[in-house]
Amino acid sequence: MGNFWNLILNENMKIYRRVRTWIMLGFIVLLPPLISILVMIFSDGPSSNWNMMMMESYILFILVTIFTVVIASETVAGEFTWGTIKLLLIRPWSRSTILLSKYLSTLMFALTFIVAAFIVTLLVNIVVFGYSGNASELSGTVGISDWEYALKYYLFQFISLIIIVTFGFMMSSAFRSSGLAIGLSISFLFAGSIVANLFSVIDKDWVKYVLFMHLNLTSYIQGVGPIPNHPTTLGFSLAVLAGYFILFNLISWTVFRKRDITA
Amino acid sequence: MSQAPVVRLQNVTKVIGKRTIIDRVSFEVQPGEVFGFLGPNGSGKTTTIRMIVGLMGLTEGDIQIAGHSVRKEFPKAIIHVGAIVENPEMYKFLTGYQNLLHYARMNPSITKERIQEVIELVGLQGRIHDKVKKYSLGMRQRLGVAQAVMHRPKLLVLDEPTNGLDPAGIRELRDYLRRLAQDEGTAVLVSSHLLSEMELMCDRVAILQKGQIIDVRSIRGQTVDKAASEEVQFDVDHPDAALGILEGQGSGKIVDGLLTLSVDRTGIAALNRRLVEAGINVYGIRVKTKSLEDQFLEMTGSETIG
Ligand SMILES: Nc1ncnc2c1ncn2[C@@H]1O[C@H](COP(=O)(O)OP(=O)(O)OP(=O)(O)O)[C@@H](O)[C@H]1O
Ligand SMILES: [Mg+2]
Repeated sequence: MGNFWNLILNENMKIYRRVRTWIMLGFIVLLPPLISILVMIFSDGPSSNWNMMMMESYILFILVTIFTVVIASETVAGEFTWGTIKLLLIRPWSRSTILLSKYLSTLMFALTFIVAAFIVTLLVNIVVFGYSGNASELSGTVGISDWEYALKYYLFQFISLIIIVTFGFMMSSAFRSSGLAIGLSISFLFAGSIVANLFSVIDKDWVKYVLFMHLNLTSYIQGVGPIPNHPTTLGFSLAVLAGYFILFNLISWTVFRKRDITA
Repeated sequence: MSQAPVVRLQNVTKVIGKRTIIDRVSFEVQPGEVFGFLGPNGSGKTTTIRMIVGLMGLTEGDIQIAGHSVRKEFPKAIIHVGAIVENPEMYKFLTGYQNLLHYARMNPSITKERIQEVIELVGLQGRIHDKVKKYSLGMRQRLGVAQAVMHRPKLLVLDEPTNGLDPAGIRELRDYLRRLAQDEGTAVLVSSHLLSEMELMCDRVAILQKGQIIDVRSIRGQTVDKAASEEVQFDVDHPDAALGILEGQGSGKIVDGLLTLSVDRTGIAALNRRLVEAGINVYGIRVKTKSLEDQFLEMTGSETIG
């Protein structure tokens, strides 16, 4: 019945017709030139476009993760808070499909922002510092070209972002509270690496299955796994992440489909 | 009536925790009928409506809309329904038009022209491109009605629709609902605790108390029922003389200077002729139906909420 794309258009309208979304995009577009120009003015050593791009991308990924978590948390919880869920769910669509449109539009938001971050950091630093060619400056002795390094970095970081956002989305549909969803997912983002460091010294096999251990996939670009004392392969990390991904989504969909709407 | 009902509730029961909030509620609403749902606070009107539109699950029983079970074929059932549940909450950061567009996109049958048509219908054309956060409650209520009728539903469900409307708005809505029922055959289900409202608007009213339907009665049917005796008041210049004429013709009495008696329609005409023939001036004849409010309070008593 009807056209699924219309549901995506609706969710996009609810994302992009808000001022705050454009403020978020403003951060992504303006932060890189600001940092690059400050570095150019205040540092004497010549910085390469690739090094600056990766440094800024690291910051932007944290920002885009936070922004997307905010969007993911509000897309479901907001409808409950506003009471609009009552009008949204009395349409000829199953609850699962409506939730899917919300999930996909959230991921599209993340993708749009990440693509914007890539383009902006790439161009700004080429303009400010000049193009230093496609050698292996970023990976050093491993010998991966800078383009390959940058693209892999974005891909791996994007995978971690999806997992954190999926967690936020689950909290949003399970607890209907965007504050709780945002708070938990962001602490997840920051506490994740601390917990990962603590756990990595534990000499037990289950450590390899802890989600936090696999959120820093970028170390695989250099050929080493993210857990120092437990060698893992990229395939293994992706399988663990896929497990959590399925679990989070199962919870989101099960809770959302069954729940009585009393908002 | 041999028509298939638009909505049919069969033994609908809702238990939350250990409390039975709705207890074996059954009723049907026919095409073209305005059906009222009347009950004191907390009697379960909103809960029943939430179950009809699929926002809450049923513990027992079934609800069918245009022959489709809300439980088993939700999209097929709900496509025939337009509704406002409690307050008409809208996306405040969107304009009225964007809100309508949002719901229109979710239903394949709604064209841009139809959106324009309902905007004019509810009289919002002047403000439709304003953000909803700038709307008054009555304007949001109108926008709520617009989204509910946009797809020409067979069943329109309105939970306390007059809430926030001014007297002119209430009247407009009432007339509109009656027209919708008469001209388009829409079945309308409205809830309210404004009893006098229900009398003016509804064909039938179900009275709900503590989650149970304690009575279903016709409203309009009553006043057209030609055979039934009703209390009638005659405003005449000489009530005492008039009472004398009545002698041997049932029991009349004088209330507030008005000759008051129980008589059917043909009796009213006959009595009027006799009064006039006897030289008594008749200034007015009033049929006094016991108001639903009286009956409602009689039935539910003035008990505490719950
Ligand atoms: N989510 C819930 N959990 C437990 N009990 C509930 C829930 N929602 C409603 N109730 C109870 O169900 C009963 C019916 O509530 P409902 O809102 O349907 O009443 P109502 O007839 O719409 O009242 P009002 O006229 O005040 O709008 C009330 O006693 C209420 O306390
Ligand atoms: Mg209510």
